Amino acid sequence: MIVIVDALNRSRFEEVLDQMFRLRARVFEGRLGWEVTVSEGREIDQFDALDPAYVIGLDDDGHVVACARLLQTTGPHMLSDVFHGILRGESPLRSATLWESTRFCVDTERLGRGRGPNTVSHATIELMIGTLEYARSAGIEDIVTVIDPIMDRLLKRSNNAPYGYVGEATPMGKVPAMAALLDCTPERIARLRAFAGIEGEVLASEEAALARFQRVRAKAAGTGLYAPVPVAAADVVAYCRAQIADAADPQEKAAALELVAEVARTTGLAALSELVRCESH
Amino acid sequence: MDLVDLSTLAVEDLPFSNFLDQVCERFGVDYAAYAGQSPLDGGVHAFVTYPDSWKSHYTEQGFHRMDPTLLTARRSIAPVDWRRLDRGTPGYGKVFRDAHDFGISEQGLTIPVRGPFGDIGMLSVTRRCRPGDWDRLVRHVVGDLQSVAVFMHDAVMRTDVLGRALRHPTLSTRESEILQWVAAGKSQQDVADILTISHRTVEVHLRSAREKLGALTTAQAVARAISSGIIYPA
Repeated sequence: MIVIVDALNRSRFEEVLDQMFRLRARVFEGRLGWEVTVSEGREIDQFDALDPAYVIGLDDDGHVVACARLLQTTGPHMLSDVFHGILRGESPLRSATLWESTRFCVDTERLGRGRGPNTVSHATIELMIGTLEYARSAGIEDIVTVIDPIMDRLLKRSNNAPYGYVGEATPMGKVPAMAALLDCTPERIARLRAFAGIEGEVLASEEAALARFQRVRAKAAGTGLYAPVPVAAADVVAYCRAQIADAADPQEKAAALELVAEVARTTGLAALSELVRCESH
Repeated sequence: MDLVDLSTLAVEDLPFSNFLDQVCERFGVDYAAYAGQSPLDGGVHAFVTYPDSWKSHYTEQGFHRMDPTLLTARRSIAPVDWRRLDRGTPGYGKVFRDAHDFGISEQGLTIPVRGPFGDIGMLSVTRRCRPGDWDRLVRHVVGDLQSVAVFMHDAVMRTDVLGRALRHPTLSTRESEILQWVAAGKSQQDVADILTISHRTVEVHLRSAREKLGALTTAQAVARAISSGIIYPA
């Protein structure tokens, strides 16, 4: 499941973003050894202050397992201001219909190998599909993406080879970084979907993504990581009823039902299971 | 219908409002508005096709200080459909309640543009029609609107002296050599074969070169690159 978080909706997703910045620290400082600034376990740089859009992948349990950061190439972005090395001092591409994707990474520690859900391959391709579909809906035709050779090989193996590169692969920490070009055509999206066997919607509504993310919280509550606040069962049921009643469209309603089902599982409240059963029909 | 080529005219003659009229006609929207802020003096340039009555009401009420299509939409990287804006804010309520009285639709799209020097521009379009028709229209024109928004923004930013000086085009070696081959009469596929790169790589570099040179077409870009000494006439 992929969710897009930008300046307009980020107040709802602060915890998701926090998990994303932690993932970035593990990958870019830890695994790739880039010279990035990590503070309190979170990797955040000056481009995060420019209101970028984040493409964030959640696994089935609601963990943040993949992410990328998008900026317009008409304004300040990494290839124009930081990655001079890759471009060998040349001026960067600048186009209204070209976005830049950076900080592209997946959680190789949490995800498994091979194919199928909750694997590195699946999370990468899902993130790619989400990025391309979001860009396409914004009228964007191409993406220039800064990646490492491992990611580059993964793209090639998944029938998604970049159609070109700009500049040169440049040493950066433990591995080189390179700037690859990808088109946002329906053909590329179809190839990715076919390769990973992904058919349904990849981009989730805000509500569905939040509900999925709550699964982590629910699990953590069970382990005592978050101190559970005592709540009256009647209040929980009333809250769940309101969530379902307030849903503006079928998608929101589905998300609300998912949330309530999760709460029903963790609390064991029979009234909630009953509510889900009634509302699902 | 072709859009006015803003980059060939003297600054004082630039017909920005006329340009927006043509945007309305070409993309089938009721109204178009552009607002841009220069990072140098903080000055705001605004051009709109709205009726005069709405323009003066908007200014009198100081709506530009609360209009979410300006204040919120500028923080997105993607075009913002006004349905994404929070209807609960006081600014939204005030601006759109009055807009309704002046016959302006709540159905709109704002395209935020970010320039290289922290400059920001916004092109907004609005149309009264069935929501389904609106969605189809947006899907159909959003890519072209992106290009038009950046084109207009660059033209507006070039109207001040400093902006013009800052925006001296810097083409990469790849962009110049591709333009040079195009000037020599080669097709995009020829250029791709000569440079052993993909057709789409040629295309994406040409798009970038056009934008840096403020040109709408590749022919204009070639002419401008020759006149500024970036490439040589074939």
